[in-house]
Amino acid sequence: MTVKRYLLGAVAAAALCTATASNAEVTVLGWPGGPEEVALTAAAELYNSNPAVSEENKVKLIFFSREGFFDKLQADLAAGTDAFDANLLATYSIGRYAPYMKTVTLSDNAADVFGESVLSTMQFEGKQYGVPTDLSLHFLYYRSDLNEALLVDESQHAKYGDISEKYLGARLSPKDPDSWTWQDFAANALYFTKSINPDSPTRYGTVLQLKNLLFNMMVFHSLPRSYGADWMDADGNITVDSDAYREALGLFKILVDAGATPNDSFSYEYAEANAAFGAGQVAAMVQWNAAAADLKDPDKTPVTAEVTSTIAPPTGPEGRFTHVHGLGIGVNASGKNPEGAEAFVRWLSTAEAAQTYALNGGAPGLTSDAVAEIAEQRPDLVPLGEYASSYGFVMNGGTSAKALSVYELQAKEFTGFLSGGKSLDEALSATSDGMAELLK
Amino acid sequence: MTTRQENRILAAPVVLFLLAMLGFPTIIDIIYSLSEVSFENLRSPSFNGGQNFVTVFNDAEFWSASWFSLKFGVTTAFAECALGLILAVYLAPIIRNNNWMIAVLIMPMIIAPVMMGLMYRLVLHEFVGSLPHYLYTWFNWSPAFLSRENVFLTVFTIETLQWTPFAFLLFYMAYQAIPSDMREAAAVDGTRPWRMFWYIELPQMAPTIAVGFFIRFIDGFRVFDNIFVLTGSGAGGSTTSLSIYIYLSFFRSGDIGKALAASVVLFCVAFVILFFAGRFLRRKRA
Repeated sequence: MTVKRYLLGAVAAAALCTATASNAEVTVLGWPGGPEEVALTAAAELYNSNPAVSEENKVKLIFFSREGFFDKLQADLAAGTDAFDANLLATYSIGRYAPYMKTVTLSDNAADVFGESVLSTMQFEGKQYGVPTDLSLHFLYYRSDLNEALLVDESQHAKYGDISEKYLGARLSPKDPDSWTWQDFAANALYFTKSINPDSPTRYGTVLQLKNLLFNMMVFHSLPRSYGADWMDADGNITVDSDAYREALGLFKILVDAGATPNDSFSYEYAEANAAFGAGQVAAMVQWNAAAADLKDPDKTPVTAEVTSTIAPPTGPEGRFTHVHGLGIGVNASGKNPEGAEAFVRWLSTAEAAQTYALNGGAPGLTSDAVAEIAEQRPDLVPLGEYASSYGFVMNGGTSAKALSVYELQAKEFTGFLSGGKSLDEALSATSDGMAELLK
Repeated sequence: MTTRQENRILAAPVVLFLLAMLGFPTIIDIIYSLSEVSFENLRSPSFNGGQNFVTVFNDAEFWSASWFSLKFGVTTAFAECALGLILAVYLAPIIRNNNWMIAVLIMPMIIAPVMMGLMYRLVLHEFVGSLPHYLYTWFNWSPAFLSRENVFLTVFTIETLQWTPFAFLLFYMAYQAIPSDMREAAAVDGTRPWRMFWYIELPQMAPTIAVGFFIRFIDGFRVFDNIFVLTGSGAGGSTTSLSIYIYLSFFRSGDIGKALAASVVLFCVAFVILFFAGRFLRRKRA
């Protein structure tokens, strides 16, 4: 009797699984474990609730760990997996995955929702490979209380000038962060470093993310770009060994050697930098926009949330820039239901889908018209689209098949220089040679 | 049916299992290591002779990673065995009456290396970590544990703290297995403790110590998880072990042929070391 009961239970469970599987025929692999997962889940629920979507085209979401996500995805796609019909894409890896993806046609009003510059974050060689769902760029996070106090306390301006003159070779005075150049950023970082200025209320003036990690190079790149840096010129010649990169790396080296960034910065990435800033021991830093939600939330960052402000990164001789990349969803060419996947991706590019996604924690880059309807609930998304269109850039070659490898190479060589392991000439020469090999 | 035939039949399932689970990947590994292969042509690699091996041997990074692995493997194995031996000998009288202490002492081994890396990433963080917090509180100073200058010492210490219990457990068992009449006879002859240890106990434990050293050396040589989680490949590649080098070549650079050529080299080196270690142990036993 007991055996029979177990058997019946097993059959029922199997039937339930089969029924569930047959109800969800478009399998979508999303970016796991963050607001993107919550937002995509909400969007998929809305899509599935539409009576016009047939049973065989309903969406089922799957997620696996973030650790090594893109490596695993690469291996799966290269092996021709049909375990998912649509999957996550990122601007810097489109070229790598393009051979295994289908191009997509988005909704007619996609450009009105996202704008052309944001749509281009999901393009490779002029073709659209996905719908942009989340936009990542950089903000300058700074302590408004410290900055305001410094601006009004003129007795400190002479010391500020002395410090900047000593370390940067130019006598600078405090400014409003919105008008900072990178030199001002550095001067501020040096002034608010306790080992340089014992009166500083913070232990460090800034926190640089210097772990040998490709994402940290993206954070760094807003600086050299403002000095005119690019990976390649129009003829495909590698241009990394340039004055722009030398200026940028030189400035970082000054900050590292002066102790203006935490001692262990060479093991720091996103989380460590947030922890340092949130502890109230850092005056300003350049960080991903995604950190704003936590760093400005008094429950999550009680020490500094109320006095943390964000603006676009500082400016340089060639202008003000922020690295920008998008996450999105594209269609797996080997999937079992590419038509269903395309339909879902097309729907994701509508205003209804983008706004649902945004209201559930996602960070899409929306045009001013599209974001206006949700600006009250998501005020942080308003500058996102504005910064992306005004300051966003992608390096020439930044979406190529080897873009990730280029970031890896730069991370290794540049951290080698910044940590004192090799000279600037050696680092730039090795980077240049390596990039020529990767981008040939 | 002869005994020999019976043995073959009984061993067949295990042999087939090993061929499928180890033999097949090894063959693919060797084929790919001799091919021009990346993620783009994973299914149609083209034979390129020993070019990948030439690339690997000409790659300064490979030699730097090999040196790191060798240095890490030897130093951690030595430290773990030395500490494990000291603990085993000095704590033996206490543990004999308090067996529960073994469970406490081997606890670090239970933690997965990757979790160990994550744990120390928190513990050593200047603003949220306990160690820098107390150092700042007491001395108003804390070293940069993961700076280029200190990172080797830090990862060495973490590895040693985690795996010394393994050596301790092994050596404690060997110490306990020494026949008590040998010790009693020596004591009756008036042998002093240090001489007892040096001339009687240590020679008895020597084969176990050698086995422990080789196991720990191999484990240290192929280190990946905790270092990768803690520092990645380190500033300028300063903590790139051979395993990390292979991982980065395979997944990050997509240079599968080069990565697998390096893995074949690692396999050969490990095989040679194990071969000579086995011979050494057989001689010692004889």
